[in-house]
Amino acid sequence: MSNKAVEEGVPYSLHCFINEGEESIKTAPSTRLLTILRDELKLTGTKRSCDIGRCGACMVLIDGKAVNSCLAMAYQCSGKHITSIEGVALQGIDYIQQAFLEEGGFQCGYCTPGMIVSVKALLDDNSEPTDDEIAEALSGNICRCTGYGGIWRAVKQAVERKRQLLAMEQKEELI
Amino acid sequence: MLLNRASSGERWRIRPDGPDKVTGGLAYLTDMSVDHMLYGLVLRSEHPHARIKSIHTDRAKQLKGVHAVLTYLDVPGLNAFGIAHPDQPVLCEERVRYVGDALAAIAADSLAVAQLAAGLIEIEYEVLEVVDDPERALLPDSQQLHPKGNALHRTAFCRGDVEAGFKQCIHIIEDIYYTPRQMHTYMETEGGLFVPGEDGRLTVYSPTQHGFMDRMQLARILAVPQAGIRIVSSPIGGSFGGKDELNVQPYGALLAIHTGKPIKMHNSRWESVRAGLKRHPMKIAMKTGTDAAGRLLAHQVSILSDTGPYSTLGAEVLNFATEHVIGPYRYLHLDVNGVSVFTNNGMSGEFRGFGGNQAVFALEGQMDRLAEKLGMDPWTFRKLNMRAVDDLGPFDQPIVMTHGADHVWAAVAGCPLWQERNRLETTMDEKAEPWIKTGIGAAFTMHGAGLGVGIPDPAGGRLKLAEDGKIEAVFGYEEFGQGLLAALEQMLIEQFDFASEDIRMIIGDTDIVPDSGSTTASRATAMMWKSLQRLKKPFSDQLLQRAAASVDRPVEQLRLGKGGIKGADGDELLLTYKELAAAAGTPIICETSFSFPTSSTSRVGAHFMYTYSAVVVKVEVNTLTGRAKVLQQYHAVAAGPVVNPQGYLGQIEGGSSMALGFALLEESVMDKGHYIARNLDTYLVPTIEDQRGLIEVEAIEHLPEEDDYGPRGVGEVGSVTVAPAIAAAIRQACGKWVTKLPVEPSLLQEMPFFLRKG
Repeated sequence: MSNKAVEEGVPYSLHCFINEGEESIKTAPSTRLLTILRDELKLTGTKRSCDIGRCGACMVLIDGKAVNSCLAMAYQCSGKHITSIEGVALQGIDYIQQAFLEEGGFQCGYCTPGMIVSVKALLDDNSEPTDDEIAEALSGNICRCTGYGGIWRAVKQAVERKRQLLAMEQKEELI
Repeated sequence: MLLNRASSGERWRIRPDGPDKVTGGLAYLTDMSVDHMLYGLVLRSEHPHARIKSIHTDRAKQLKGVHAVLTYLDVPGLNAFGIAHPDQPVLCEERVRYVGDALAAIAADSLAVAQLAAGLIEIEYEVLEVVDDPERALLPDSQQLHPKGNALHRTAFCRGDVEAGFKQCIHIIEDIYYTPRQMHTYMETEGGLFVPGEDGRLTVYSPTQHGFMDRMQLARILAVPQAGIRIVSSPIGGSFGGKDELNVQPYGALLAIHTGKPIKMHNSRWESVRAGLKRHPMKIAMKTGTDAAGRLLAHQVSILSDTGPYSTLGAEVLNFATEHVIGPYRYLHLDVNGVSVFTNNGMSGEFRGFGGNQAVFALEGQMDRLAEKLGMDPWTFRKLNMRAVDDLGPFDQPIVMTHGADHVWAAVAGCPLWQERNRLETTMDEKAEPWIKTGIGAAFTMHGAGLGVGIPDPAGGRLKLAEDGKIEAVFGYEEFGQGLLAALEQMLIEQFDFASEDIRMIIGDTDIVPDSGSTTASRATAMMWKSLQRLKKPFSDQLLQRAAASVDRPVEQLRLGKGGIKGADGDELLLTYKELAAAAGTPIICETSFSFPTSSTSRVGAHFMYTYSAVVVKVEVNTLTGRAKVLQQYHAVAAGPVVNPQGYLGQIEGGSSMALGFALLEESVMDKGHYIARNLDTYLVPTIEDQRGLIEVEAIEHLPEEDDYGPRGVGEVGSVTVAPAIAAAIRQACGKWVTKLPVEPSLLQEMPFFLRKG
């Protein structure tokens, strides 16, 4: 789509995949993905907080990469696979979410969906992250409640679970 | 007990609100929407101080998609709000006093249309001189912001003769401490949904810490009976005191009433910054003296608090600061004065610690400076001057006797991190870069809980066996992340032996819950615990008596258990709660109401119950960059029994992180009444990178045997002592005293050795 069309807000149909479902959404090409998720699709697990890509509350996966949905516009999502927190839990609470639950990695919970999405992007890509890598991956997610102690514990537990899951998969392959 | 998952055993539980929070399934009140709703928006002032000559809304009203544009003319009742003293205009009529002041409220089909309409409202201002310096504001020639002048509130407390006291002093320390305008930075900005009903009632779904206070204030604004308003107020995406005062509620309510349609509001971050509360910036001057042996003889304090344009809880925060600049120490002569001053700066208000953070930073700074002057260990110096078990409180008021101060002091004295401090003085880490310097510091506090003398502080709750067999626990408190539901569930399980499946917790709905007072001042857990203690016997008795009739066994042979009634000496389930509920008879409901315990003094704001706490921190100062980094923390907290270990730990860790921001990062800088930082790219709060060090929390549970007050609050204490401990650690690391927060890196920067002249 040309820049001019983008600027003029020409009616636009976004085709993409959201939480494994195919979607076709009439919207302006410049509509933020955050608005599409929350206001049009009522997927309110993705949270609105700073609107400028600083706090990470609206983090989603776009083709597996963690992206602030307040900074992604509709036309940039064309054909992409988008996973919001609702998509992370499609098959029930996953191992990262379970780790957050058990370690107290949240309090008010408003940053938690974005935080979990960032951890998922990290562990999908790197199952043995160092502390530096964890801190870097989560430095775009602000939590005002936990003091990050519970989040550190949760991520460490998730890393351990991932290790066990991978070991089990390897074992099954050998059999 | 060192608090962690391992030491907590089975008491470390998953929060009842956890699964919905980690899956994104929990609907916060700002997530709600309904068909045919309109979007609400507030037009706020362009100027921090101006007279309003005219407001024209015709062009905005004519815009397609606009349903209402309201001004002060459309407020049917009291055009003002404020928890303690309603002096903040809902919609300004003649004058604006800060950049968050509201002039018009708009309802439109979309937010974009509402924003367009806001741009079409024409306001003619006469700009007035900005009163942005609280000291200048007190001068007689300053512009007066309110009819009674620019002093909102003054405090004083005297004992002995402070001037005579100083004459006897051998060592005197005099310093001035400055603390920043800190922002709550709750992740969920203010908002909600406002739904007018067919029955003429208005339902407000909007976060607050005290639904009944909001209901009273909204009824006053709308000129309707309180019964005409229902407030649904939880769950909340963080508050920390910041959502206790009304924020968007007056506008959402007015627009809903005027349009007859549901109104959705959700502040942008910038809107939240400009209109929201901040921690009171304070300037605290202290002069403190001792005799040759180090005993405190005289302490003189002057507090200047910038309360911003309107009252909200400015007076109460100053009262709290006045109490906490005296703190847990004994002085023969004392003279404390405080003044809270109106300015055209941002609104100051309630914030975790409630004025204690500012006070304790200054007071503990004095203690460290005096100890150093005396050549004493700072902790030994504190012990020498600390309150004894049966001493009166800071205002010479009777307080609940505990050994909290002693226990916390001893825990810190014996902890490895404090002992490492003494080694640090003699050894240097040879592996470290020469510009990296390390220090360890500690600070202490006694922190008051509850609202204090002279302020209505109701408490209570209700237990009911519902028709479907659930045990309903009904309280007027709010869940804003602190883990109140988890604490309540854990108490019900442990005190009554219910299973979590047996319980239904109901909070945050003024149509259903009893008024249990505000969820603030570290009081909710203590008041829920006390309520359950009071309800335990009558409620259990009724359940067991009903059961006894049903199963035809004597009451003494029955007990409450998981799933239902069991035999006193076995685990066999005799009757489920559902069967019990179905048994004929009057409904089983027990309710209790009482007040937060207060001291027998006439001093308004004085406290009766205190949490004692101290922290030791290890800090690394990079003298090239001037940045200080907290490496390790040890918190000792004496707050009675731990109700919920995970929540307790989380509150101390979270409070500590907020205090780390207060000490090292955060300040809402203002320039002539305008905020410089509008969002989280320029207002920096701690991230995970800032919190990589170990935090240990030692929970001291001991209370005297006769103490029946139960657990004290821990919601605030984690945030109170961190800043002065960091300041003490910086002193040890690089020899510099910090008097102003957040610590300015340029203060800690040194010329690198390789640039110095040989």
